[in-house]
Amino acid sequence: MSLEEPQVPAVADATSQAEGPSAIETARKYDLTPKIMPFLDRHLIFHLLAFLRDQQFYPAEELLQNTYDLLEPTNMTDYLMDLWKQIHGKEDIDIPREFLLKREKVMQEWSALQDETTKITGLLENPDVVSNFRSDKMQNLQFLKDNHGVTDDMIDALLRYGQAAYSRGSYDQASDILYSFRILSTDSDKVNQATWGKLACEILTVNWEGAMEEIQKIKEAIDTKPFLSPTAQLQQRTWLIHWALFPLFNHEAARDTILELFFSPNFINTIQTSCPWVLRYLVAAVITSKKNSGSSRAAAIQQKQFKDLVRVVRQELYEYSDPITEFIAALHLDFDFEEAQKKLGEAEEVIRSDFFLQVFCATEQSEGVESKNAFVESARHLISEAYCRIHQRIDITDLSQRLNLSQEDGEKWIVNLIKDTRVDAKIDYKNGTVIMNHPPQSVYQQVIEKTKGGFFRTQVLHAAVTR
Amino acid sequence: MATSRFFHGGLSDSESSSSEEDYSEEEEELEEDVQNDSDESESTEDDDDDNSDDDDEEEEELEDGNAPDSQKKNIFTRDVVDEEDSDEDGLRRIVKNKKDKRFEEIETSIRLIENAEKINDWVVISQEFDKLNKLATKAGHGDVVPKPYIKAVADLEDFMNETLLKEKAASKKMNATNAKALNSIKQRLKRNNRQHEQDISQYRADKENYLLEPEVEDIPVPLKPTFEGVEPERVDDDSGAYSVVTRGGKAVQLTKESIFKHLKVIVEARGKKNTDRTEQIRTMEKLLELAQSPYQKIRVLVALISTRYDLSSGVLSYMATDQWKAAEIELNTLLQVLEENPSWIIIESGDEWDDDEKSPPTPAPGEIFKISGSIISFVDRLDDELTKSLQNIDPHTTEYVERLGDEAALYKIIVRSQMYFERLSSNKNAGTIGDSLNRTVMRRVEHLYYKPLAVIETIEEASYTLLTSESSSDVLRSDLKKENPATIVQNLCSHLYKNDSTILRTRAMLCHIYHLALRENFYKSRDMFLMSHLQENIHNADITTQILYNRTLVQVGLCAFRNSLISEAQSCLQEILGSGRVKEHLAQGVGPQSRYSTITPEQERLEKQRQLPFHMHINLELLEAAYLTCSMLLEIPAMAAAGSSPDMRKRVISKTFRRMLEFHERNVFPGPPENTRDHVFQAANALAAGDWKKSCDLIQAIKIWDLLPNSESLKQMLSVRIQEEGLRTYIFTYAPFYDALSLTRLSEMFDLAERKVSALVSKMIAHDEIAAALDQINKSLVFRKGVEVSRLQTLALALSDKASGLIELNERVFEQKAQSGAVGGLQENTTRPGGGGRGKPRGEFSGNSGGNRGRGGGRGRGGRNVQFAGERSSAK
Repeated sequence: MSLEEPQVPAVADATSQAEGPSAIETARKYDLTPKIMPFLDRHLIFHLLAFLRDQQFYPAEELLQNTYDLLEPTNMTDYLMDLWKQIHGKEDIDIPREFLLKREKVMQEWSALQDETTKITGLLENPDVVSNFRSDKMQNLQFLKDNHGVTDDMIDALLRYGQAAYSRGSYDQASDILYSFRILSTDSDKVNQATWGKLACEILTVNWEGAMEEIQKIKEAIDTKPFLSPTAQLQQRTWLIHWALFPLFNHEAARDTILELFFSPNFINTIQTSCPWVLRYLVAAVITSKKNSGSSRAAAIQQKQFKDLVRVVRQELYEYSDPITEFIAALHLDFDFEEAQKKLGEAEEVIRSDFFLQVFCATEQSEGVESKNAFVESARHLISEAYCRIHQRIDITDLSQRLNLSQEDGEKWIVNLIKDTRVDAKIDYKNGTVIMNHPPQSVYQQVIEKTKGGFFRTQVLHAAVTR
Repeated sequence: MATSRFFHGGLSDSESSSSEEDYSEEEEELEEDVQNDSDESESTEDDDDDNSDDDDEEEEELEDGNAPDSQKKNIFTRDVVDEEDSDEDGLRRIVKNKKDKRFEEIETSIRLIENAEKINDWVVISQEFDKLNKLATKAGHGDVVPKPYIKAVADLEDFMNETLLKEKAASKKMNATNAKALNSIKQRLKRNNRQHEQDISQYRADKENYLLEPEVEDIPVPLKPTFEGVEPERVDDDSGAYSVVTRGGKAVQLTKESIFKHLKVIVEARGKKNTDRTEQIRTMEKLLELAQSPYQKIRVLVALISTRYDLSSGVLSYMATDQWKAAEIELNTLLQVLEENPSWIIIESGDEWDDDEKSPPTPAPGEIFKISGSIISFVDRLDDELTKSLQNIDPHTTEYVERLGDEAALYKIIVRSQMYFERLSSNKNAGTIGDSLNRTVMRRVEHLYYKPLAVIETIEEASYTLLTSESSSDVLRSDLKKENPATIVQNLCSHLYKNDSTILRTRAMLCHIYHLALRENFYKSRDMFLMSHLQENIHNADITTQILYNRTLVQVGLCAFRNSLISEAQSCLQEILGSGRVKEHLAQGVGPQSRYSTITPEQERLEKQRQLPFHMHINLELLEAAYLTCSMLLEIPAMAAAGSSPDMRKRVISKTFRRMLEFHERNVFPGPPENTRDHVFQAANALAAGDWKKSCDLIQAIKIWDLLPNSESLKQMLSVRIQEEGLRTYIFTYAPFYDALSLTRLSEMFDLAERKVSALVSKMIAHDEIAAALDQINKSLVFRKGVEVSRLQTLALALSDKASGLIELNERVFEQKAQSGAVGGLQENTTRPGGGGRGKPRGEFSGNSGGNRGRGGGRGRGGRNVQFAGERSSAK
């Protein structure tokens, strides 16, 4: 469904009027919207544009026009008419005939499709019929064909019906229709289309669990389906990565799964080759997910992810960099804490003006904590962690400065840090210093660490080989 | 004089099909002849000045067949024609005495043959026949044969046939020698008579009168005096024909009408032994001047160019410069003719047209006539010949430079032929041109990729202006577009990526990468290199492509070096320079022969053939300097970090460097550095001792850096790197002796900013390279004590490392297997806890698709994979 690349309205070309403070400049400089747009669906882009309109980086009229251009091929005629009115300034202006004609046409098509599919939808709603379904698709289809006169055409009509529903903006409905289509259809290409469509619907209806399911399905489809060319496969992966950004930042529970997906070799390669800008989101996601580490296994995974992240950021530094990736580079490649701090300040700006990352700002307001947002919080955590690891004795004043905190807050922060991460450290109040104790890792511990998973892994391997 | 005669005799003898055995005999004869001749010619000189002049000229012609002098020839021919006499007569008049004498000899021979016929003595006949042939060619100078000779030969043939018939019928065989002679004469006669077929048939038609007829039938019929203004000398003649004196002194009349006839003769003689190609070329040059219609021109040019190429055969010899230039001009003309006459095209699958039977084809306007031939092979050959001559000329002479100047002309032709092929490929009726266009484009790329931007711009500009000024045809002008020098290689290469899937594509890719690296686009070139996955199957490519691959790899390494990416540069250069056979790998000279491997002359010749011309060389000393310096910067701190622990010492970054370093250290009395290598190793020693200043000075003193653009900034970069690595080395080496080190002191010692020092030290701490921590208050580095591990502990650690590495390896093998066999299991286990036991490979040349070294390992693993598969299937 709507797999063709949408014609992107040239937001990037929106010539800047060079007014406004530097914040807007930075925001524009690091605005990823134009880069992301080619990989999203019209309906998804719409939200990005809406966000941009709120942010007021770009002239409102241009954005309005762009939104209009974007949505023109869709069937959301009523909304389009509204937009058209807005663009032309007057509420009571006469609407051109084309709109009415188009609406008429859309309505006709809609009802035609509705008629076409009444029978099958009716059947699917009939509990008697549904109860006869088995897990085998072919069998079901045969059953419907034999007993209820369902034809292949009718099933295909269902897909078109779903597309039409999506196009008019009734996502819930579209989602349901596509679901039923998927139950029946045996054409894998079309099922794929339907899955993409359903994913879009789930995202648009903010049904993250559903979206996660779809993402998993699409991932499997991409991995198993034989592609004609590696390029096509790469493209599909790129799409999936972009679409998955929606649940990544809006659905806490999905974060680990999606991160795991992104860090799987195939996907990290895709990010590196075709969309290095996604690294920004990857960095943000990894940094923010750091603190809520539960089990030791999860911690290990996170550690590995972080390692991978640093590696990838280093590799792609020449290809893509923004304050967020540069922050990681400064902290973990150059160990330049001053630079890292500077970058963190810039990163804050970027985060505020980013559609996906603004969620971190949203949490901040509700909690009312002094720290700016979740990202900055986690980043600070990261800085102090690295700092403590390297130093033996730290001046509290200095550290607070590094973290952009007052002396008192700094002390509080350190106490919390010691409490949370169980760093072996003590505060020397008289001298105003923190003294770190780095016990040398015992050799025995190291050996145990290294050989820990060995037996289990070998067993798994053995089982897999003998299977 | 004597030698010239000999030369002449030898040549004509070859025509009359002599065999080896009678060579000496003939020599004697010749000597006699020579004496006679010299006497005679002296006497004739006295007689007649004019005649002797002619005679001299004629002899000059004979003397030096290789250097045709058209001027003289023209005079000669004009004389003949002016006198309105037959060729034959003219010649006879000139060499009357000689001729008469020869005729007498011929008569004797004929008589002898007739006598022998009577007694059926074929041995005598055979001998006399040989003699007769020689005489006849001498008398008639090869072309116009005396009539008695014709008669004799014809009779002899008749008689021979009779004898053969009899022989078959007869029960009694003739004796062995006789039969052998008969057989040999049978063959020779047949061959011989074929040449004189016409005359013989004439004779047979009218046996009685043949001898009596005046010998005038050879007079060339004067042709319509057309084709004026080509040669002013000839305008006042009323004959529009040329006559060319061919070997043996006979004059051949060349006319417009006979162009194809002559061409045919020449083409048929091609590839035969003892054809005089210079002669043919001269003939064809004349023919070319005569040729009027595009068809004629094209045909003559095609034949002419190929004959020129035939001149220099053999692998090691190269085409003479003047011949090359002539071929270049002719190829240019050919292309011009083709541009001006779009209805004629040359194509490999062209139509064969029998010119003897049919009149030249006349295509209607818009129609296309295909002539068979191959422009691309002409271009290829021209290019190859230039390369060959560059390979053979000493690069330090002016000759080399001059020869190099011809590249511009060659490049122009390549561009022009590219236009031609583009025109053909856009034309539907033209038929398929195969990969000709791609090959031309590739040639063009190969002339550009290794050149700096400015040179490309010049050469492009030159060929552009030359072509636009030279060609009047609109076709070319409209096709020819000015290419941007910055993007031309990219454009040409993308053409090949799109349209070709053969080795050309690979080569184009390598050239493109090389070009990018030359222009400082390290990341782009590296990414292209890795994404092309060439390193996996380059071993199957042909050797020249492998050489190109090596060149590209090295160039990418140099590019990294220039961009101060030390470890990347090292890993790129490692593969080639670490081998110790750099020269061979880059085809820039033959390396020192190993004592144990003997190379056959055959191999040596092939090797020589592959050598690159000097102007394409990559400076080896620079390469070595870059490689060794990179190795030093990586290896010295690593060695210091490893300390004395034997396990760590095994982790070697550059074996070559270590070996050389050891060798250097063994010197008892190190003198002042003499060459680049000395500089680097003394610098390395100084660096290891913590004396970064000395190390820096030594590296800066290397003169070869000046070859690089902006060498100053490079030196700057190197000294900064030396400072940093020096600091690291110092800390590694002396850590055991310190409790704490002040950062300020360190920054003073190594002349680095304090911030930089703390960043470096932090990095070392964070990577667990040293057991220490920073004290912020005192601004010092505090070393932890009691971290030394015992021998057993070290071994235990190493063992656990290896064990986890093994598991990882196994998993990866299985993963690969599962992926390829679509088993799809075990995917979840890829994210295993606490991975990374393998340790990060240093200086990994990794990009989007894994590193260079990783690849090597991958290949090995692939091998194991197969075995694994076998086990699996048996287990099932």
